[in-house]
Amino acid sequence: MSEILQEIAQQLYAGKFNEVSALTQQALDQSLAPAQILKGGLIAGMDTVGRDFKAGELYVPEVLVAAKAMHAGMDVLRPLLVGEDMPTTGRFLIGTVQGDLHDIGKNLVAMMLEGAGFEVFDLGINAAPGAFVEAIKDKEPQLVGMSALLTTTRDAMKVTIEAIAQAGLRDRIKIMVGGAPVTAKFAEEIGADGYAPDAGAAVDKARELINA
Amino acid sequence: MTNIRSNDHVLSSAQFRRLSDEQCQKLYWACLEILERTGVRLYDQEALDLFKRAGVPAADGNRVRVPAWMVEKAFTTVPKRVTLCDRHGNRVMPVEGHRSFFGPGSDCLNIVGHRTGERRKAVLQDVVEAMIVADALPHIDFVMCMFLPVDVAQPVADRYQMEAMLNHTTKPIIFVTTEFSGCVDAVQMAEAVVGGPQALQRNPMVACYINVTTGLRHNQEALQKLLYLADKGLPVIYIPSSQGGVTAPVTTAGALAVSQAGALVGLVLSQLKQEGAPFIMPGWGGNMLDMRTMVQPYADPDKRVMAADFVHFLGLPMFALAGCSDSKVVDQQAGIEAALTLMTDALCGGNIVHDLGYLESGLSGSLAQLVICDEILGWLEPFVRGVEINDETLGLDLIDKVGPDGQFLDSKHTREHFRERWYPSLFERYDYATWLDKGGKTLGQRAAERVDAILAEHKPEPLPEDAARAVHAIVERAEAQYG
Repeated sequence: MSEILQEIAQQLYAGKFNEVSALTQQALDQSLAPAQILKGGLIAGMDTVGRDFKAGELYVPEVLVAAKAMHAGMDVLRPLLVGEDMPTTGRFLIGTVQGDLHDIGKNLVAMMLEGAGFEVFDLGINAAPGAFVEAIKDKEPQLVGMSALLTTTRDAMKVTIEAIAQAGLRDRIKIMVGGAPVTAKFAEEIGADGYAPDAGAAVDKARELINA
Repeated sequence: MTNIRSNDHVLSSAQFRRLSDEQCQKLYWACLEILERTGVRLYDQEALDLFKRAGVPAADGNRVRVPAWMVEKAFTTVPKRVTLCDRHGNRVMPVEGHRSFFGPGSDCLNIVGHRTGERRKAVLQDVVEAMIVADALPHIDFVMCMFLPVDVAQPVADRYQMEAMLNHTTKPIIFVTTEFSGCVDAVQMAEAVVGGPQALQRNPMVACYINVTTGLRHNQEALQKLLYLADKGLPVIYIPSSQGGVTAPVTTAGALAVSQAGALVGLVLSQLKQEGAPFIMPGWGGNMLDMRTMVQPYADPDKRVMAADFVHFLGLPMFALAGCSDSKVVDQQAGIEAALTLMTDALCGGNIVHDLGYLESGLSGSLAQLVICDEILGWLEPFVRGVEINDETLGLDLIDKVGPDGQFLDSKHTREHFRERWYPSLFERYDYATWLDKGGKTLGQRAAERVDAILAEHKPEPLPEDAARAVHAIVERAEAQYG
């Protein structure tokens, strides 16, 4: 029974999105529960991807195509997953801060966290502090992530954290930040709860913060 | 005796290329195809208007598909050589053919201090010291500011950099600015030093290095600077920043094609604005993103020389890149990468070769590393230079006179020619005991000492007082407005 789940995980690791889609359907035809296929096949596969990415054995282009395979499997499962079966490692809101148009890193983090079982809400690029505030009220995430690529835009992270605090929402969430000009020291200075240097590490940090 | 010898080659320098003419032709056609098929986005209205007036209106807001005939036409008016001058108008850098000139880079965020090896944020005094060192070094032909000082108002840091360069060296200056206003101010500062716009245009002491977002996306500031400088007839260095695997194909050919196609758009625009405006092409390309470290390396081998061969094929002057390292410190990797990259560019004839002294993939600069690069150039010059094989250098009569039993130490021929062999001034060749006696120092230590010696002894020619005041007034005006 777990053979097909193992195969799903392997094909996902190899980025074979068509195969993952077909195998996911096959698993359903074999009467496996969607939540089980999700956990034992797709998330298990992404876990290995994340582990090897962190270890420097898998590189970004390979992670991206594995995430594509994950999405292919998710597309098959999503209509069948009922409310409480949805992955609930946690709810994660992410955006690139105001004034910044860069999103590759943000997208990678979003994919990795989705792969780790988070429900991810993506504000996209150039997200104003107000957009973060509204989304926190609307989606009620436990974890919020901010991304910036430029030294000139990373200060928007501080502004956003202040806006969240002013809206009385700071205590409800944990905030993590990342991006090329961001450091652990900077994260501390602006009052974030965590920092990760890359998407692989972001998964670990996200898990740590959500369990804290 | 008649001295007739046909088909003779007495002197021929090192000959080196990687790409054949046919390969360069393929690349060129690929660039033209990219421009006609995919086109570029131009984020400046004047640039779009210039294309529109020439019969090529934009589609989809700002997307221009450039027909090949426009590129070909631009080649008929753009100068094939550019001469950069020193502060006194001496025409010291004839940028043409396979002639190579060398200098540092700009805007390193950090300096790796030569005394302690400490890495710290760069300040304005570091820019000043870098200019003093660059002014002193014999194989450095031009300067760039080397560091981005953190102790001045950031919106006008480029004005401070320009002021430091103008004051502390007479060598030609290649400047970089963040916004368009900085470019205008830099030109005004240079005009104040040489005596006005005509003087600067006739004997240009400066060239502006413009970075463009990618080959197919041209940001507003880049286009504004390009058109402004074209109008003024001042040399422009227009370099799209295409990153293989991110903003361009990861393969060297594709990455190079994207960035060179973008440069050709700059060429077309410069000639549309002003026929005959000097334009300098990218002499490097095919960059990559290291997929493990997420760093764009500076000393990667795969792409080297491709762009230089290509631009030689086009017959245009180029801005090249060498003497740099991805190492964080002045260690063996730094020395090796600097030497390898300088060698490839010296061999293939990169014209204006910048970024000497760069470490950490462009994030740190080191004056000790710059000094080491100067020595590498000292080594490369006699290597690239041709060897004369003639009666005098063969010395057959002398060989016969000395015979199997004699020696050459006290012969006139030895006396006359021994200084033609290269002697190091920073590398060393002592016997062990002497080396130990002199302190047993490493190259890194001697390079650091050389920096200190230069800083203690070398006094660059200062600007005349009125010029220095005029330059400073522009800095103050900018700070009042933007600081």
